[in-house]
Amino acid sequence: MSKILKSLLAGCALAIATGVAQADYPEKAVTVVAPYGAGGASDLAARSLADVARDYLGDQPVVVINKTGNGGMNGARFVSESAPDGYTLLLARVGMALYPAVQESSPVGWDDYTFLGSLEATPMILAVSANSPYQNAQDLIEALKSGASPLAYGASGATSIDGFTVQALLSDNDLDPLRAATLVPYKGGSALATALLGGHVDFLAVAAGSLMPHIEAGKMRALMVYAPSRMDTLPDVPTASELGFEKAGQISGWSALYGPKGLPEEIVAQWTGVLKQVGDDPDWLTLANRRGSISTAGQGDLAAFARSQYELFNGMAKDFGYLK
Amino acid sequence: MWNDIIFAVSSVATFANVLAMSAGILAGVVIGAIPGMTGTMAVTLALPFTFYMQPVTSILLLVALYKGSTYGASISAILIKTPGTASAACTILDGWPLARQGKAGKALNMALVSSCIGDFISNISLIFLAAPLALLALRVGPAEYFMLMAFALCMVASISGNSLLMGIVSACLGLLLATVGEDIYGSYRFAMTEDMKGGLSIAPVLIGLFALPELIRMIVFRDGPQGKAMKLGDNHLTLAEFKGSFKSIVRGSFIGVVLGAIPGIGPSAAAFFSYGEARRSSPNRDNFGKGELEGIAASESANNGCCGSTMIPLLALGVPGDVITGVMLGAFMIQGLTPGPLLFQNNLNEVYMLFVGMIFSSVLLFIAGKLTARYFSRIAAIPQVVLGPVVLMLCIYGIYAISSNTFDVTILLIMGAVGFVMLLLDIPAAPFLIAFILGPMFEDNLRRALAISRGDLAIFFQSPISWLFAVLIVFFLAYTVRWELQKLRQKRAES
Repeated sequence: MSKILKSLLAGCALAIATGVAQADYPEKAVTVVAPYGAGGASDLAARSLADVARDYLGDQPVVVINKTGNGGMNGARFVSESAPDGYTLLLARVGMALYPAVQESSPVGWDDYTFLGSLEATPMILAVSANSPYQNAQDLIEALKSGASPLAYGASGATSIDGFTVQALLSDNDLDPLRAATLVPYKGGSALATALLGGHVDFLAVAAGSLMPHIEAGKMRALMVYAPSRMDTLPDVPTASELGFEKAGQISGWSALYGPKGLPEEIVAQWTGVLKQVGDDPDWLTLANRRGSISTAGQGDLAAFARSQYELFNGMAKDFGYLK
Repeated sequence: MWNDIIFAVSSVATFANVLAMSAGILAGVVIGAIPGMTGTMAVTLALPFTFYMQPVTSILLLVALYKGSTYGASISAILIKTPGTASAACTILDGWPLARQGKAGKALNMALVSSCIGDFISNISLIFLAAPLALLALRVGPAEYFMLMAFALCMVASISGNSLLMGIVSACLGLLLATVGEDIYGSYRFAMTEDMKGGLSIAPVLIGLFALPELIRMIVFRDGPQGKAMKLGDNHLTLAEFKGSFKSIVRGSFIGVVLGAIPGIGPSAAAFFSYGEARRSSPNRDNFGKGELEGIAASESANNGCCGSTMIPLLALGVPGDVITGVMLGAFMIQGLTPGPLLFQNNLNEVYMLFVGMIFSSVLLFIAGKLTARYFSRIAAIPQVVLGPVVLMLCIYGIYAISSNTFDVTILLIMGAVGFVMLLLDIPAAPFLIAFILGPMFEDNLRRALAISRGDLAIFFQSPISWLFAVLIVFFLAYTVRWELQKLRQKRAES
């Protein structure tokens, strides 16, 4: 009995401690979970945020841990099931809205979180190898339409973000999104870049971070950008919406900060303020620039944006026949 | 060019660089030797510290950790039959028998010498063969990968121990287990729980298969391994032994260099290839698996032979071939350097400094190995009743720490039980592991190649690289069948 009593007492003590914590948040280190591997987009964004946010959190450190696996859902589930005390947060990526939109059953829903604020847009690029005959997006689409020789594209999977970039483009041009080009699945941005460099696939549309070094080195050619605006580093490459592609124009990579559902309002308000300050911080902007992303910290209505992204992908998954 | 190199030597020889490399290698050896803690983990943990270092220093630290841990893995493989990482799995086959014969010091020295030679040859190749090897790496497409993997699976025959049949059974089980989780097109297989959707990671399968069965055996049969007490003094490697294995070391190093340069293959497959080839061509082939120094030499030269050349796709093409170079790519980016062809135009000085530092680190690896071997070899003298529980605790803790997921610990324990049953039935564990590691590459590339060719099998015979492997497969199968028939005849003649 005494064991149960002890653990009850410990539980009470913990409850009191967290109760006090909310009054004066944060009074200890905040953990940000990156749901994908070290060195990837979510990891680098989390580590940059950790570096900068400390100054605006009363000098409390932000610790990044990687909880990977199952398309980022392991980390997402861990955070959504954590205590809503503001000490366990999620560096969410587009996958947190995409996965529940395309899977019959998802361990975490798209809205099983408290939305704290967006962080960055990470553009995606439609690219071909430098010795490819296609000079612009129109050339490529015409080749696909003529169907003379079947073209293959690389992506992480049919229902992954970089699969939808191509399928949305095909669908916007009245082509069959599943048959007009052959999907060749590869795991991760580096493997995809290697496949294009080696000429094993004809084109792809994946995260800019994996492609920019090769575009700058003249080994690949960028045909179109999936982002709200043109990239500073590629001023001559049009965006999908400029070219009038409706579905492709809404696709882009992004990062945001999520917490478990039911975070107290004071903590949400505090993070809204912190992210505004982070968005103006020169260090944050430099780091974002180096990663090849556009800072959106402290801007826009994240909850509405996450919903629109979920609905976009859910609609496409139904259109393309991935969901009934 | 020579002026550049001399300048690089003088600028690399700073206190900070030497400190970073020495600390990295020492820490790498210790981390690699602890079961369940891998080089990937060491590199990931060190990444945040590199944000505040000079670019060259930070990369040298990460490289040093990688090299140290690759060698360190062989220490626990030899002494406690627990590979620190998967690349040391072949080292167990001969290292553990040697340790039981009281020759752990000899085995450790052989592992160190061949690791350092493999490492050195790999660094030299990085400097002089980067361009052709990078070209080769790009030419290897899905069809070529598939043929390479098919050849690799044929080589299971070389590590099957006493019975080829049991080896094939073991490899088939490994291939089957590799199918668990999401396939490349996004459909799930054997995904009975949410965690199984992500598939099984290598580390818990590896540790469960190799380390736990021995511990379970100790508990069930109430006896420790009958090892002789270690003699620490007279365990040096003799010149004759070194000469006897020299051919395998050089061959292993080059196998490591070539397979390391091709993205995605990695040191486990290289060690396995090298071991298989050494066993096929060695005059001592009958002693392989019973405590043959040449086996350790082949395996260790090849896995460290990957360390330098794995940087080739990263530096020359800007594409990381595995998780470790992936983390390094992140480190380069944070430093404002972009690996790839432009690096050689814009940052040639840094590139030369990196090269010089890496060659220097081969020497440091030897010193660190010599310094630590003395202490590590005492582990063999620790009574099993003390060592067993410590190893078990380290395994469980290490596996949990990799992804902070209790599912991995469950896998570890289940695989321990499976491994124990395999031990009782005399089914070798090495083919299981290698098939489990290669299985996804085998399947994924088969499906990719057929997607590209739209189902036409001719794609597997379109390039010279594919033809080369096709010929090797036929040659190797014919050789194995002949050898098996010979063994059968011998047995008949005896009885």
